[in-house]
Amino acid sequence: MLLEIQNLHKIYNNGTHALKGVSFKVEEGEFLVIIGLSGSGKSTLLRCINRLIEPTSGRVKFLEKDITHIKGEELRKVKSQIGMVFQQFNLIKRRSVLTNVLTGKLGSLGVFESVFEKFSDNVMEEAYINLERVGIKEKADARADSLSGGQQQRVAIARSLMQNPKLLLADEPVASLDPATSNSVMQYFEKINKELGTTVICNLHFLSLVRRYASRVIALKDGEIIYEGMPGDIDEVWFKTIYGEDAEEVEIR
Amino acid sequence: MTDPELELLPQTIIARGKERQAKYNFVKSVLLDIFFVFYSLVVVQRAIYYKFIINLRDIPFSWNSIFIILGISIIIGYAWTYSRTSLSAKLFCISKDNNVTKWTVEIFGWFLFNITFIAGWIVTRISIIDLFSSEGIRGAERIFSALFQPKMGIFDDALFAMIETIYIALLATLISIPLTLLLSFFTARNLMKENKVSFAVYYILRIILNFVRSIEPLIWAIIFSVWVGIGPFAGMIALLVHTIASNAKLYSEAIENIETGPVEAISATGANKIQVVWYAVVPQIILPFLSFTIYRWDINVRMATIIGLVGGGGIGTMLMQYQGLARWHEVGLLILMIAFVVWVMDYISARIREAIY
Repeated sequence: MLLEIQNLHKIYNNGTHALKGVSFKVEEGEFLVIIGLSGSGKSTLLRCINRLIEPTSGRVKFLEKDITHIKGEELRKVKSQIGMVFQQFNLIKRRSVLTNVLTGKLGSLGVFESVFEKFSDNVMEEAYINLERVGIKEKADARADSLSGGQQQRVAIARSLMQNPKLLLADEPVASLDPATSNSVMQYFEKINKELGTTVICNLHFLSLVRRYASRVIALKDGEIIYEGMPGDIDEVWFKTIYGEDAEEVEIR
Repeated sequence: MTDPELELLPQTIIARGKERQAKYNFVKSVLLDIFFVFYSLVVVQRAIYYKFIINLRDIPFSWNSIFIILGISIIIGYAWTYSRTSLSAKLFCISKDNNVTKWTVEIFGWFLFNITFIAGWIVTRISIIDLFSSEGIRGAERIFSALFQPKMGIFDDALFAMIETIYIALLATLISIPLTLLLSFFTARNLMKENKVSFAVYYILRIILNFVRSIEPLIWAIIFSVWVGIGPFAGMIALLVHTIASNAKLYSEAIENIETGPVEAISATGANKIQVVWYAVVPQIILPFLSFTIYRWDINVRMATIIGLVGGGGIGTMLMQYQGLARWHEVGLLILMIAFVVWVMDYISARIREAIY
């Protein structure tokens, strides 16, 4: 078992009850997609897994180890095994693409090496390999904010690949991209999942993308899991339960 | 599997925290209400009643009356907060939401503002008569006509002193940069709030910096002119101390306002604190830091002329000497030079700051 979530709750300081007792398991090699409306708790859930947010109660087990309350060095070690890709890409805008990719390696570097940016030849080589993997090697020296949205997201994917992650979290990775770019970015996730065997947990909005890429689907509504199953099994009725009565499916190709 | 931690309802955890918060807020608002009542009673009694209505020259002072007022304020303040309709109860969000609260807050708020304004008017002894008396206006004419006919005799000395002033300001600004940089990371709330030790460091540093900043450079110059002797060095250290304290605040506010996305992304890679700061924070704050520092140089030039008045060296010291001799034509020249340099510095620093953004 790669990941096990038990009865996870998150209540923010302002009183918002974002997660209400979520439990599920993730096997190695899965492509798990989490769907749900904005505000249903998808992002909170992902951030509780790699502890960017402290869960209020419940338990997160990663590789059979309870990581809900670990701290310091131990927590950093776990974080370095979990890659994450964000909706807003979250690159360092003023630095080069290459530097951005190299930051994925920070978890295993000392303070001195990283502050003076002394990256070993091996790490450099790895960075170029990962840039090539997402097809953007020729942009290595460009400034990160000069790239288009899709390209920036690919840089972010390359950065997370530098961690050689056991698990890759993607928080609505295509929500700020146009449909065509969305598909191409999703194909990189698929490639990573298939070729490297990395487990992927991805928040998505569009059902067409879910059907095409997911190996399993979880639907969240108001902080609770209301559906768990195969992407093909989501029919009209389920769709309306998840997205509300007025929702209509939009195709994205 | 039974596990007390899994059983514990999240709501109970939150509710406990909320209860504690409400208790704290109650204590805070009692104290603030006591202060408000005490303040208004003292102001009404001393400034408005004694000074204004019965027009006493010397206001009687006795600890007894102060203690009586304090006693009254404690009773009223406590009762008021307890009724949950007071101004501070509203400020700390523990008030009842009804019309009584609304009216007390509005009326008492206005009352506080008005008595403060009236007391201020009385304390500063505002007098229209003094401003427009014929004797006063003649004096003003004399000094202005001298100031606008500067004598060029001391131009060489003045130029030299002016250059000294500019260098004092420049050096104070340059030396402040590394020290301020270091301090600003330790006084940024978002970087320090995570554990108790670092938060304590943050808090103590903030208090020290607030204290240092609240003492004007003029007073620092007096202190240092005793410490290292009168001259430009004293002036430079005085400016340096104040620059560090006030820029550390600006810098740390810039750190507090950064985009959190990159910080999140870098910490998600398992990077440690220093690495997160170096890769996710520093690139975002370099430009604001540069801009604050240049602006501060400009401010320091202005301040350097002032601290010269108390022995900080430069053109201020010269201004002080000629003013003491009542040689207004020379003073006029010095003031014109200061105005010119300040204007030029202002212009240059604005242009540089525009260019780097």
